[in-house]
Amino acid sequence: MLAATLGLTACGNGGANNGQSNAEGKSNNSDPNAPVKLKIMWQGADIRHQAMLKTQEVYTGLNPSVTFSPEYMAWDDYWKKLPTLAASHSLPDVLHMDGAYIQEYATRGTLEDLSDIDLTGVIDEKTLDNLKINGKLYGIPISRNAQGMAYNKEALEAAGIELPKKDWTWDEFFDFARNARAKLPEGVYPISDTDTWDFYEYYQMGYGKGTIIQEDGKKFNLDKDLFMKFYGIFAEFRDKKIVPPADMVSAFKENDPQADPMASGKVMTRGATVGSVGALEQLMPGKIDVVNLPVGPEGGGWAQPTIFLSVSTDSKHKDAAKAFIKWFVTDKKAGETYGTNFGIPIYDDVYNAIEPSLAPKEKLGKKLYDTAKDKALPFSPAAAGWTEWVDNYKKTMDAVLFGQKSLEEAYNDISKSGNALAEKLSKSSK
Amino acid sequence: MIKTLKNNKVSNHLMLIVFSLLMLYPVIWWVGASLKTTAEMSSPSIWPSTPIWENYTKGWQFSPEFTFGRFFGNTLLMELWNVVGGVLTSAIVAYGFARINFKFRGALFSILLLTMMLPGQVTIVPQYILYNKLQLMDSYIPLILPHFFGGGAFFIFLLVQFIRGIPRELDEAAKIDGSSVYGIFYRIVLPLIKPALVTVAIFTFIWSWDDFFAQMLYLNSVGKFTVGLALRMYVDQFEIQWGRLLAMSLLSVVPSVVLFFFAQKQFVEGIATTGLKG
Amino acid sequence: MKAEAVHKPAAARLRLTKKKAKSSNRNNLAGYIFISPWLLGFLLLTVWPIIQSFYLSFTEYSLLEAPTWTGTQNYANIFKNDTDFTTSLKVTFIFVLFSVPLKLFFSLMVAMMLNKNLKGMNLYRTAIYFPSLIGGSIAVAALWRNMFNLNGYFNHVLSWFGIQGVGWITNPHTSLATLILLNTWQFGSTMVIFLAGLKQIPNELYESASVDGASKVRKFFHITLPMLSPVMFFNLVLGIIGSFQTFTAAFIVTQGGPINSTYMYALFLYDKAFKHYQMGYASALAWILLVIVALMTAINFLVSRYWVFYETDGGKQK
Repeated sequence: MLAATLGLTACGNGGANNGQSNAEGKSNNSDPNAPVKLKIMWQGADIRHQAMLKTQEVYTGLNPSVTFSPEYMAWDDYWKKLPTLAASHSLPDVLHMDGAYIQEYATRGTLEDLSDIDLTGVIDEKTLDNLKINGKLYGIPISRNAQGMAYNKEALEAAGIELPKKDWTWDEFFDFARNARAKLPEGVYPISDTDTWDFYEYYQMGYGKGTIIQEDGKKFNLDKDLFMKFYGIFAEFRDKKIVPPADMVSAFKENDPQADPMASGKVMTRGATVGSVGALEQLMPGKIDVVNLPVGPEGGGWAQPTIFLSVSTDSKHKDAAKAFIKWFVTDKKAGETYGTNFGIPIYDDVYNAIEPSLAPKEKLGKKLYDTAKDKALPFSPAAAGWTEWVDNYKKTMDAVLFGQKSLEEAYNDISKSGNALAEKLSKSSK
Repeated sequence: MIKTLKNNKVSNHLMLIVFSLLMLYPVIWWVGASLKTTAEMSSPSIWPSTPIWENYTKGWQFSPEFTFGRFFGNTLLMELWNVVGGVLTSAIVAYGFARINFKFRGALFSILLLTMMLPGQVTIVPQYILYNKLQLMDSYIPLILPHFFGGGAFFIFLLVQFIRGIPRELDEAAKIDGSSVYGIFYRIVLPLIKPALVTVAIFTFIWSWDDFFAQMLYLNSVGKFTVGLALRMYVDQFEIQWGRLLAMSLLSVVPSVVLFFFAQKQFVEGIATTGLKG
Repeated sequence: MKAEAVHKPAAARLRLTKKKAKSSNRNNLAGYIFISPWLLGFLLLTVWPIIQSFYLSFTEYSLLEAPTWTGTQNYANIFKNDTDFTTSLKVTFIFVLFSVPLKLFFSLMVAMMLNKNLKGMNLYRTAIYFPSLIGGSIAVAALWRNMFNLNGYFNHVLSWFGIQGVGWITNPHTSLATLILLNTWQFGSTMVIFLAGLKQIPNELYESASVDGASKVRKFFHITLPMLSPVMFFNLVLGIIGSFQTFTAAFIVTQGGPINSTYMYALFLYDKAFKHYQMGYASALAWILLVIVALMTAINFLVSRYWVFYETDGGKQK
């Protein structure tokens, strides 16, 4: 109750130098020192938990009236618990959001619009615009992410295969696979087969045909020619054993020590993000390197934030929550406290302060980001309501991999369900 | 005669040993894997080149604030209540259904069974909202309470079946001796279904140990976490701390194994004490 | 009391009781006192969520926003144009059809094997029960994958017999069979219930049969099976109810794949509820499952009167 009156207008003096953002509270006629307990929830591993707890301690040190009631867990449990909390209107004040989920939560009214947090000079306008959903900013990005590829440098060099180069084209990617096949031993494959929608979408976007899901899920756009061409090449690769057989592919599980396509030694390359490449590095220390995704005439891959802090509409302390988030992203001391535990910090000043102390796996992540940045296209997550279509895309393509469906049938199934869904969503929004 | 009996015994033992080993393969794999580094997990050999005992020591030392000792304590305390509640109330309820004719018994028993058939996934959210309104979040009460209300249809039905296997003449004899229904329950039925009650205790213990979904929903502070929840903290989005995860999961099975080992002796004693006459 | 139809199974007997309306007031009071723990819990904690889920099955409910009433649309969609529904129902029926009898048979055999007075039996029992103790954690998923992948333990054992294995859980033709096997491997709970049931059979019965010179096989069919039938019935009913709701194995080992080949009904329902934010639809699925399982259970109770034997005063089978 007290917190609702705290009224910290975070859009005060902007810039990055305010470790004392609570002072801005005076714009409201309330007592800035009235105690507030912020419920805060995030996911991750223990190092991140410790860093986050420490950061909250620092904040409370600077703003004694604000204390925290933290709740933290690992990724899976976090996303399992959140819907139930939303259903009972007990979402925490501040919560961790992810690019894969924010659309669902934002469009369904569980998150607060944070556009009024002034981030001038901290995050550039273009990045923020990319992140907006229906023109509103539902999460403040805290780190950078990018999509690229990892490859087994050690094994490729040993086999005398030319390593992938930055900004390689899709044709070069396919040629790499064909050439490498001849030089690799049997049972080891240059690239893996593909069954997920995003990998094909990079191809479609690279060739200028746009994203598959458009207008917040109300328009569906699957280019038949590119679809047939792309998967036609993979069909050829399947025949020539350039990609592994279907039952091997369906056994792959990324970052699992025994089932990861690369860590198991079966495949030389795979997709990787800034966040996941560090895990792969742990599995095969010193053996891997990174490159950006193959590019088309328009570019390829993406490089933008996917981790956010959001404020829930259930919150009774919205202003205090916003003030904390702003401090978290813009304050150097905050950045030094949590370091790279949320990825590469978004704010350059914060990043530069911690750069000298990066671990090898973090350097690899940074390298991936830098490589991907130049040719990056916008990140296009599935819109709200599309998770099931995404699952079915994979199932349909798996049927193609196992030879149970023709490519033509797969195209028809996928586009039929996609069009139906887009139509349904555009109707319900009218 | 004696010789064939002996041979029989030997072959019995042999069969059991082979079968046990087959079933125990997971433990062997598990012990080996729990001593490996993450990078070594992918190697096909069962045993690590150098055992990493750190998986156990560091794994136990969960975080700067809490060790696994805390989580085992939390879980065992919760389990104690669950088992007591489950054993006590399921027997009482089962006796009512099995032995007493009361109005609407058939209908109520059908409802009892029906509650088992609705998948829990669709009632868990309304249930959560209910407990949330009762302000019981971040406590063990939502986890323990159901065990004091009969312990669930499974156990009630199980005990009903066991009680109905007891000859009614025992009831009748006690009745002639002047026992009330309560006396019969306490002095005749309860001792006779001891093996089944032990079963209820074992299953309650093991199943609530595993029931992470409810624990995850209702417990918020890490200090209150159960072993099952704490283990899940080792599974990050990209990085799983395999060594620690496997080491601590192996330890987490120990209480159940110990409980089972000692409790199943009751099955043996079961015969000696029942002494039923046909 | 004596006049009660003791040879009839639960449902039939319960019905008879009602018809005769023999229950006295004193019995009513005692009965309700005994069942009061369950009845209270049911009224206080269970009935409201059940009613809620029934209501939600007629709504569109994402969990993230309030439910909106859509009438019978969920049910119509499920029956008219949901291929995942038919697929998962088919997969689940096959699973139930094979795994229930297999598990019953296997666990009864093992229970009989473990129901002997041998030295070290405690250890054997614990070892054999172990796979059922380990639950469904992520560690166990890794273990299962390790057992059933291309160069896993299972294929290793097969190779002793000269059989060349496949990637059991990643091949759409074998994945369901593997899950059935896996489920059978965790036969422990069923086995323990059998064991407790076997312990309840009075030794005198076997002794007097031995005196009469009955063979082992004869003893099994004339003493063990009938005396065990209430417990057998329990395991059958619960096995079917449980198998229809099988979730963990598919969830952690195969995630329903490859290509829906192990897409169990409960997993489909879970995906709808918590992954695709369609709790209303999931609730409708749950109520459809309830009807199916209730029908199966009712049939079970009806058939049980022909084979389930309940102890009576002096009613021993001789």
